Amino acid sequence: MIPKLLKIGVVHFAGCSGCQLMLLNCEAELAILAQRVDCVDASMITSATCEETPFDLLLVEGSITSPSEQQHLQKLRLRCRHLVAVGACALTGGINRFDAPTRETACTHVYGPVADQIETFSPQPVANFVAVDACIPGCPPEHSDFLDFFGALSCGVWPTQRDAPVCMECRTRELRCLLEEDHLPCLGPITIGGCAARCPALGIPCEGCRGEVSEANRDELCHLMAKTHLSKSELKRRIQRFTGGENV
Amino acid sequence: MSRQIIQPLTRVEGHGRVILEQQQGRLVSVQLDLNESPRLFEALLVGRSWQEVPELVCRICGICSSVHKLAALHALEQVLKINIPPAAAIVRELTLLGGHIQSHALHLFCLILPDFFGVPSVLDLARDRHPLAMAGLEVKAFGNRLQELFGGRIVHPVNLVIGGIGQCPAEEQLIPLKEELAALCEKWPAIAEEFQASAKYPAGGAPVGCSLATGSPIGFDLTGTSLWTADGSEWPVADYARLLAERPVSSSHAKWPTGEQGPFLVGALARQALTARRTGTAPDTSRQNGIYANNTAQLLEIDWALSRAYSLACQLLDLDKTAPCRIPPDGPRAGVGIAAFEAPRGLLVHRYILDDTGHVTEADIVTPTAINQQVMAKQICLDLAEEKDQVRIVKTAEQIVRAYDPCISCAVHLLEVK
Ligand code: SF4
Ligand code: SF4
Repeated sequence: MIPKLLKIGVVHFAGCSGCQLMLLNCEAELAILAQRVDCVDASMITSATCEETPFDLLLVEGSITSPSEQQHLQKLRLRCRHLVAVGACALTGGINRFDAPTRETACTHVYGPVADQIETFSPQPVANFVAVDACIPGCPPEHSDFLDFFGALSCGVWPTQRDAPVCMECRTRELRCLLEEDHLPCLGPITIGGCAARCPALGIPCEGCRGEVSEANRDELCHLMAKTHLSKSELKRRIQRFTGGENV
Repeated sequence: MSRQIIQPLTRVEGHGRVILEQQQGRLVSVQLDLNESPRLFEALLVGRSWQEVPELVCRICGICSSVHKLAALHALEQVLKINIPPAAAIVRELTLLGGHIQSHALHLFCLILPDFFGVPSVLDLARDRHPLAMAGLEVKAFGNRLQELFGGRIVHPVNLVIGGIGQCPAEEQLIPLKEELAALCEKWPAIAEEFQASAKYPAGGAPVGCSLATGSPIGFDLTGTSLWTADGSEWPVADYARLLAERPVSSSHAKWPTGEQGPFLVGALARQALTARRTGTAPDTSRQNGIYANNTAQLLEIDWALSRAYSLACQLLDLDKTAPCRIPPDGPRAGVGIAAFEAPRGLLVHRYILDDTGHVTEADIVTPTAINQQVMAKQICLDLAEEKDQVRIVKTAEQIVRAYDPCISCAVHLLEVK
């Protein structure tokens, strides 16, 4: 059973803080949420910092990019009952992973002479270091993702993880297919829905920000993409943008 | 010599710490470290196609994603020689205004307000439905409504694309919005007044630093082709690097601008001072209290942003909705593009060099918090030099940093070192 006032924490690693901002962006629901949760550690949201208090729930945003972040995450895992990875950065490495020659060269490029004082490795998903109990996808997650999540928790269950593609939502909304009719590089067929086909509804091809569905048919997608203006390598990069850059 | 470390800095975006050094009970040095993990955007953009840049760079920061995306779009459209259609320009500006309203309201009502009432978090105020917090959250939600409607999403706006916008909101959406805007314009002054009446700040000395902002010479604007400094000089935006002369510092993952006229102060307070200077009007300083005047300046900017949004919504309703709102680029071009915007926290510059295949060969992004780093440390030193109470020193130092509304995720994306 989940206790009445959930003790939650929010921790931020390499990312843009957009995920936790989306939580604060539930302005109309914050009062109700505050009845159910007590934020005991979250540097952007509260000045309470309890180094020892155990969490019922820890929301993790961002990817892990250094040994000290890895240690911090592992320590936090020991303090929390449940750990939730929030957003593409935490789930796959997200945007942080776009390909650079190597992390060191990139670091030298930006920081020059002091680069060697920065200890860092290629951005990793949270699940590479600790057990993850639930995931909230998106870059950033939708408002409704957070509400579904806390709604389900307050009933003592995890929310169901969606796996139907954006394409399905496009069909339901009877939107024009950007891929087939306009030959635009839409990733809707392989991307997890839940955003009500936000981008295609504006005539903009899906960039895959909610991550890949489990049975993504990339071959079929590549076939459909043949008519778009994207070269093979650009298509590869587009697919990799939110899937963590593993082989495409 | 005794040393105090304030870590983590709370109710600010991102990871930072302050190191205070005292000698015989006197504060002798303050060091501010922005120790977010480096995300190396400038390096990782090299070799990427111009088409990917706007979607990638808006992920630098979730709070100011709209202005990052717009700065990138403007810089790239310069290279591509595209003049966007009028409706697109209005929709973009409305998105930008929504971003300012949401960001200022987030700062004032979620990050600052808890200090006035001695609670750790806005959640503690929301739990009791504190009227001022609830009113502030409503304004914040309205800023987000503008970003959602015009930008297509609150964080990482999808409707803003190279050449213009994806879609212009329909009349059925604009008419009720206009009414809501009018109502909020009426309501806002009372909310701002109540915020001011509840404000409790420690005493503070005059804000340090030379104010710096972009904007138009005739009034207040969120973008421009010149940079203005409080000592009366005007620089073309292209000279930003010379003006700021950033250099990396080993303790911090952000760089310190070290230009001769500096250190610079950017943000709402700097904008207010410079607008007054450029337009020859006197700023209202009657309620200024040290760097906390930045909060007052943000309150005034929300007021300005709401009325500006109202007039833009009216203009948009009058435009021909059947005209295209996007000019598709006719292929890649080589060149340099540079854009200066006022992000909620101050001056933001994006600069890209593209080769003739449209790939990035160089990228520079200068963010407001990186610029403000030095004045933050100086202000702490100034305000707390004589303070003896250890608890108060720590609390006030944190409040000073908070007053700048730092955005640390932004600050760690740096100028390329030459
Ligand atoms: S997943 Fe996207 S929104 Fe969330 S922190 Fe990463 S870049 Fe920001
Ligand atoms: S349509 Fe695609 S890119 Fe757009 S919000 Fe949905 S998943 Fe993200």
